[in-house]
Amino acid sequence: MMKLQQKLAILADAAKYDASCASSGSNNKNSKNGKGVGSTSSGMGICHSYTPDGRCISLLKILLTNFCIYECSYCINRASSPVERARFTVDEVVNLTIDFYKRNYIEGLFLSSGIIQSSDYTMEQMVSVARELRKTHDFRGYIHLKTIPDASPELLRMAGLYADRLSINVELPSKQSLALYAPEKNPATIKKSMSVLRDHIDESKESRKKSKIIATSATQPMKRHKKTSKFIYSPAGQSTQMIVGADQSSDAKILTLSNNLYNKYQMRRVYYSAFSPIPHSAQQLPAQSPPLIREHRLYQADWLLRFYGFGVNEITASSTVTNNEGQGGMLDLDIDPKLAWALRHLEFFPVNVNTATREMLLRVPGIGAIGANKIIKSRRFKRLRVSDIAKCGLSIKKIEPFIEAADANPACRLLEDENLKQYFIKKESAQMALF
Amino acid sequence: MRGVTPNDVAWESQQHSLFVDDEKSPIVAKPIVHSQLRIPQAFFSLAESVACFRDDRKWSLLYSVAWRLLFEDKALLSMVIDKQVSQLLAMQKTVSRDKHKMAAFVRFKSVNIDDAENDVPTTYEHYVAWFEPEHLIVREKSPFFRKRFSNMCWSILTPDLCAHWNRAELTFTTGIAKPPNIDDDLERLWLTYYENIFNPARLKVKAMQSEIPKKYWKNLPEAVLIKSLVSGSSKQSDAMLKAPSVPDKNYIMKSQFVKQQQEKLRGKRKEMN
Repeated sequence: MMKLQQKLAILADAAKYDASCASSGSNNKNSKNGKGVGSTSSGMGICHSYTPDGRCISLLKILLTNFCIYECSYCINRASSPVERARFTVDEVVNLTIDFYKRNYIEGLFLSSGIIQSSDYTMEQMVSVARELRKTHDFRGYIHLKTIPDASPELLRMAGLYADRLSINVELPSKQSLALYAPEKNPATIKKSMSVLRDHIDESKESRKKSKIIATSATQPMKRHKKTSKFIYSPAGQSTQMIVGADQSSDAKILTLSNNLYNKYQMRRVYYSAFSPIPHSAQQLPAQSPPLIREHRLYQADWLLRFYGFGVNEITASSTVTNNEGQGGMLDLDIDPKLAWALRHLEFFPVNVNTATREMLLRVPGIGAIGANKIIKSRRFKRLRVSDIAKCGLSIKKIEPFIEAADANPACRLLEDENLKQYFIKKESAQMALF
Repeated sequence: MRGVTPNDVAWESQQHSLFVDDEKSPIVAKPIVHSQLRIPQAFFSLAESVACFRDDRKWSLLYSVAWRLLFEDKALLSMVIDKQVSQLLAMQKTVSRDKHKMAAFVRFKSVNIDDAENDVPTTYEHYVAWFEPEHLIVREKSPFFRKRFSNMCWSILTPDLCAHWNRAELTFTTGIAKPPNIDDDLERLWLTYYENIFNPARLKVKAMQSEIPKKYWKNLPEAVLIKSLVSGSSKQSDAMLKAPSVPDKNYIMKSQFVKQQQEKLRGKRKEMN
């Protein structure tokens, strides 16, 4: 029989192409009144380590098995891949999770799996792991289950009762690409399951809200109503992942889909995973280093969609940037998408830091949510000068050309410079050395 | 207090924080909130975390800001660009980052301890960690570990202060100079995990270092692997990029079979559409 260590090596290696490792935004729980270990919070997650690829280790991210009956070209675990195979037992995963957790290596478990026998059989096994952890060991750490889209509704329902987060990967941004590279995956089923998860999550939120209202408003003790149907289902919501650079989809296409997913299914996160060359890859896929900068720009654009009030069209529609193959709708790799928007809309600037609304401040390259709040707080006391902006902890060099303050700001003249973009590329190259 | 301006006071640190009630200490911290002293509550939560800052400059700074809150401007704390306020906020940020890193980088090792009080000899597991925080955060951060590991016996040993939890009570003893010498076999599995979850094709050493500064490396068991993973990575990913995608006969046959199945599925899908 294969040793546990060897299995772990194979099944961790098989899991590393999944970008997510988040352990944030769950409900507040701890082990004070329990029998086991663990705690989660509604706030920030904790990254217990970082690997030299700059990615955080927050969860024990493994596959239950990398045997798989599917043939998705981009996946190292596809049926025809000559990769070494292994399979954990339910107990092995449970014990490994608890042993790691007790040493404070991890926040919890991120479990995914190749499809063996059938979708339901596989999903059943994954749910068993979560149930064992919760029921037998009273584990109160974080559990993320990668859900198999065509598993039965009953399994989808059970998964969320044990997991903090569920995810179903869309994998590729278009129906055509999916048909080409992952023929067994059906986009309609994926969407359907996402909306099933959303319904459960919404119901659970609603049930908790109701019981809160009852608890706070009830002056007389409740008798029969004590057991309201309050239930917790995937408190950290659902997320998904797209592979970037395996197919020909443009950034505009990708971001349009993301925007859709955020609105339609209330995704907490859409992850972008730069297609990474895999050993023994299928021939139709690009053998090239992963497009890490493109991935980074997509994350920045995603942020603009979610927190800065940008529309997809503003980020990509007027973008005339093309990639090597002359394809349009791509984000500029040299500068970040917010700066790119600003350079296309110079008429919007300079923004007056003493009078601008928060929305306007957020449009200034270099001013983020925290910076905008600090500016708004400080300007109640005095009219801000350019030097005060630096005191708000902001990088003045990037912001300077775009703002107007109480004193004269000669940097504004840069806006008339034809080589403005070059000026910023030089500034940004230091940061991009991280890639 | 009005008579004692911030410039008149020199501050020296007690071993313990001023804001923690410690009966053995000759100076007992009195509850500071007083109806006649109109210092906003926000100042006290700020002061509590700034008190963890290792540098003694904090005391005069806190006094000075408290004095100004009373006699200059009670909204001073919102003035984030004020020099002293921003210094306090920066200290608070540093302390909170250090606390976050403690939650992340404490590594427990399991030790079997003989339970002498029992007639029948039994052993139980005690989890011991050695950590070197940058600031004086052990007392403040311990409740986090108590809540998370309430059903484990554990000790977190540091040069400043050691925290102990026996599943009932949180106690503190004085700091120790050197880490204990403990081996935990399970670390081998953790290292195996670390090595294999790393994707050599995505090497970003600087991004990693900005999150785990080198000062933490010596107490992280997995850090011994960093050097070899980094130096081996380009070799590994080059090999992947150059590898012929056709290894052997069996593989080709299998691949062809799978392709046929795929085609069938595609045909079906088209019919369905």
